[in-house]
Amino acid sequence: MLKILIRRELLDNLMTFRFAAVLLITLLLVVANTVVLIQDYEQRLKSYNDSVKRHQQELRNSKTYSTAFLFVNRAPNPLSIFNAGLDKRLGNYIGIYHGFMPTLWDARMHGTDNPFIAFFSSIDIVFVFEVILSLMGLIFAYDAIAGERERGTLRLVLAQPIGRGQILLAKYISTMACLLVPLILSLLFALLLLTRSMPLSTADFLRIAGIVLTSFAYLSVFYLIGLLISVATRRTGTALMLAMFIWGFLILVYPNLIRATVSPGGDIQARVKTAQNQIQQILDEYERERQKFLETEEIAGESSEFSKALGFYHQADVNPVTLTTYIENMSVISEIRPDYEKYVPVAKRYYNFVEPLAARTVEKAWRVRKQALEEIYVKQATTDRILLKLSPVGIYDAATQAWTGTDLSGLRDFFYAAQRYRKVVIDYLYAKDAFSSREWFVADKGAVDWRTLPAFTFQRSDVGTNAKRALPDLFLLLICNLVLFMAIVLIFIRSEV
Amino acid sequence: MWHITKREIYDNLNSLRFALTTVLLLALMVTNAVRHLREHPKRVQRYRDAVTESLNHLTDRANDSLYTLAQYGPGNFYKKPSPLHFCANGGEPVLPDVVEVDEPPVFRTDAEGNRLLEGIWSLSYPDANLQNKDVGPNVSQVDWAFIIGYILSLIALWFTFDAFSGEREHGTLRLMLANSIPRHTVLIGKFLGALLSISIPFILAVLVNVLLISTANTVHLTTDAWGRLGIIFCLALLYTSLFVALGLLVSARVQQSAVSLMILLLTWVTFVVFMPSTLASIASSFSPATSFEEFWQQRHPSRKDLWDKYKAQLRSSELADRKLRAKSEFYTENAEREERRQEAQLKYRTSQVHRARAITSISPATLLQHLIEGFAGTGFERHLQFVDNTQRYARQLREFVADTDRADPESLHILGVREGMSKKPISPESVPRFEDTLNLSKDFNTAAVELLLLTLFVLVLLSGAYLAFVRVEV
Repeated sequence: MLKILIRRELLDNLMTFRFAAVLLITLLLVVANTVVLIQDYEQRLKSYNDSVKRHQQELRNSKTYSTAFLFVNRAPNPLSIFNAGLDKRLGNYIGIYHGFMPTLWDARMHGTDNPFIAFFSSIDIVFVFEVILSLMGLIFAYDAIAGERERGTLRLVLAQPIGRGQILLAKYISTMACLLVPLILSLLFALLLLTRSMPLSTADFLRIAGIVLTSFAYLSVFYLIGLLISVATRRTGTALMLAMFIWGFLILVYPNLIRATVSPGGDIQARVKTAQNQIQQILDEYERERQKFLETEEIAGESSEFSKALGFYHQADVNPVTLTTYIENMSVISEIRPDYEKYVPVAKRYYNFVEPLAARTVEKAWRVRKQALEEIYVKQATTDRILLKLSPVGIYDAATQAWTGTDLSGLRDFFYAAQRYRKVVIDYLYAKDAFSSREWFVADKGAVDWRTLPAFTFQRSDVGTNAKRALPDLFLLLICNLVLFMAIVLIFIRSEV
Repeated sequence: MWHITKREIYDNLNSLRFALTTVLLLALMVTNAVRHLREHPKRVQRYRDAVTESLNHLTDRANDSLYTLAQYGPGNFYKKPSPLHFCANGGEPVLPDVVEVDEPPVFRTDAEGNRLLEGIWSLSYPDANLQNKDVGPNVSQVDWAFIIGYILSLIALWFTFDAFSGEREHGTLRLMLANSIPRHTVLIGKFLGALLSISIPFILAVLVNVLLISTANTVHLTTDAWGRLGIIFCLALLYTSLFVALGLLVSARVQQSAVSLMILLLTWVTFVVFMPSTLASIASSFSPATSFEEFWQQRHPSRKDLWDKYKAQLRSSELADRKLRAKSEFYTENAEREERRQEAQLKYRTSQVHRARAITSISPATLLQHLIEGFAGTGFERHLQFVDNTQRYARQLREFVADTDRADPESLHILGVREGMSKKPISPESVPRFEDTLNLSKDFNTAAVELLLLTLFVLVLLSGAYLAFVRVEV
C-alpha cells in the first residue's frame, strides 16, 4: 500500500509545472554561478602564486638576517566555491619573524585588481541552495494535505485501510525523492565544471558529499515546515501565503535583522585599553632589560656611536586598536667602517641577547592579547552565529562552512600553522647560531643563504576534523526534522477530514 | 473605479497578510533607525576628526612657507558621510572614504640626509581598507534599499498574486464583470487598491523610522535631505507598482492562484536575488582590469624614463637658474605622471564597474538600488563625485600657489623649488579649503536614465496586465 502511495505521489510531483520550473531555475543558477566562481577562484589562485613568487624574491634579496622579510601566503580554498565563508574576507598573507606573533587579525590582503567589483556580492553555491531549496521545499509541501482536503481526495485515501502516519511517510519519501533530482543534478553539473578546471582530491569529494547530506537535511526541514502549515490550514491559498511569509522571514529578514539589532555588548574600548596597558608593561620590562644589557656592556657612554656604527633601527610597539605587538631590531647598513670594527663583538653579544628576549617577550604578550581578542572580536561573532541558528539557514550555512573549511576554525588552522612555522624559523636561527653571527646585522662578509630554511607548508584539516566541526550543526538540522515530523503526525492524527 | 479600489482596500485591511506586513515592515524600519542612530554619530565624528587633522596639516604648511605648501600640498581629503546613510549603505566597506595626498618622493639624498632631489605632492586613490577584522556571519545591511528592494517587492507580489485568479476561483470575477464596468477600470481599481493597501503599512513604517531619526538630537536632517527622502519615497512607490503590475499580469494569465504565486516567486528570486550578482560577475570578467602587480610594476619604468629625460640638465651644475628650472620641471612632471597613472587605473576600474552596472540594470532591484544610492548620496556615483571634487580642489590649490607666487615680484617664479619661490609669509586663511559637497541636480542627471528605465518597466508590465486581462475568459 505504501508503495502504491509513493508511486502515485512521485508521478503527481514529477509531471507538474512546478517541478520543471524549479529544475530549470536551479540548474541555470548553479551552472552560471559555478562558471563565475571558478573564474574568480582562478584569479585568486594567480594572485596567490604571484604573491608567493614576490615574497620568495624578497627573501632572496634579504642580505642579512635582521632585515629579512619572510612572508607566508594563504592559498584560496577550492571548496570556497561551495561556501565562501571567511575565505575571501580575511587577510591572506602574513609576516613571520621572531619578534611578532602571526595571527588572523594581523594578516593582510594582497591587492585585488579591482576592489570595486566587490560591490556586486558574488554568490556561492550554498547561497543558491539556501534560497532555492527552501523555496522548493515549501512550494512542494503547501498543498500536500490542504490540497487533498480541498479536492476531497484525502477522504478517499483515508477510507483505505492505511495509517495516517503512513500517508505522511509516503508523501515525505516521494516528494523528497523528487526534490533530490534538481539538487543532485545541479551539483553534478557543478562538479563536472569544477573537475575540468581544478583537481579535487578524494577528501574534497568526501567534503562535498557532506555538503550534499547537509543540503538534504536542510531541504527536508523546509519541506516539513511546509507540510506542517499544510496540515494545520484548511485552504491551500492560506497555506501558501503563510508558507511564503515564513520563508521571507526566515531567509531574508531574520538573518539580516539579528545582526543589526544585537549590539556589541560590554565596554570594548575599556577592554582594549586594559589589555594594551598590560602588554605595554611587558614591553617596558623588555626595554629595561635591554637597557641593562647596554649598560653592562659599558658602551652606554658611546651608545649613540654604537647605534650609528650598526645603523640601528629599533622599535617595540603595541597597536591601540588591534593590539598587534611587535619588536623590531635591525641594522640598516651595507658595511661596517673599519674604525667601527671594534663594535662587532659587542653587536654580536647584543643581538644574541636581545633577539631571544624579543621572541620570549612577544610570546608573553601574546598570551594577554589572545584572551583580549577572543573577547573583543570572537565573542560577538559567536553570539551572532548562535542567534542565527534559530533560523535553519544559519545552521545550514554554519554546517557547510565547516565542511568546506572556510569557517573561523578552518581559517584559524592556517594561522596556527603560521605560528608553528614561526617556531620552526626560530629553531632554525638557533641551529644556525644566527643571532650571534655577523650576518645578522651586516652582509659585507657574505650574505645569508636562505636555501636551507625549511619551507612553509599548510595542509587543510582532514575530512575527519571537518566532519567533527560540521556534525553538531548537521545533528541540529536532523533534530529539527524529527521534531517537525512528530508535530505533523500529531496534528494530522487529531485533525478531522 | 473608486468602488473597486475601496473594496480592495477594505478586503486587504482585514486580512492576515496585512497584519503580518505591518509588523514586518515596522520591525525592519525600527531596526534601521536604531542602527543608524547608533552608528551615524560615530561616523560623523570620525569624519570631523579626520577633516580637522587634515586642515591642521594645511595651516601648518601654509604657516611655514609657500614652498612647503607647494611641496607637501594639503592634507588628505575625506568623504563627507551622507545624513541619509540609512537609506542606502551603498557598498560602504568596498569604497574608500579618502583620497590621499602622497608625500613628495625623495630620489636622492647626500651623506647627511639632505634631500638633493625630491618631488612634490600628488593625488592618489587608495583602495578601501579591506583589513576586515569582522569574523561574524555574512549578512547584508538592513537599509531602505534592502527593505524596499527585497521585502516590499515580495509583499507586493503577496498582495496581488490572487487578484484575478483568486476571484476567478471564488467566482466573484464573473459577478463583477457582469456589471457594466469596463475591464480597464477593474484593472486600474485593482492596481490602485493593491498599491494603496501596501502603501499604508509602508507609510506607517517610514513615518516611525523618520520620526525616530529626526527627533534624535544626534542626527540632523536638512531641507535638502527631506527633499531627497521624499524622492526616495516616490521611488519606492514606483518600484512597488512595478511588482503590483507584475502580480496582476501573472494573476490574470494563470487560472489557479497557487500556480500564479509560484511563478511570481520564481521570477522574483531570479530577478531580485540572483540576477544582480551573477550578471555583474559575468560582465566584469569580460573586461579584466589591470592587475594589481602590473600597476605597481609600471611605476619603475616611468620613473626611469623621466630620469633619463632630465639627467643631463640636472647634473650640469654651471647655471644655477637653469638647474632650478630643470628641477622644477622634473618635480612637476613626476607628480603629473604619478597622478596620470593613478587616474588611469581609477578610470579603468570605474568603467569596468559601469559596464557591470549597465548590464545588471535588467534587474529592477539593481535599478532601484542605484537610484536610492544616487539620491541618498552614497554609493559609487557619489564616490566618483567626491573624487571629482578633490581633483577640482587640487587644481584650485595649485593655481592659488602659482598666483600667490606671481604676485611677489622678488620671487624667481620657479615652482616646487625652495630657492625659486616667494619667501613672503602667507596667511593660512587665504588658502582655499576643500569642502565635499553633494549636488542634487547632478544626482538627478545621472539618475534620469535609470529612472526612465524603471518607469518603462512599470508601463510595459501594466499594459501587459491590461492586455492579459482584456483577453481573459471568465
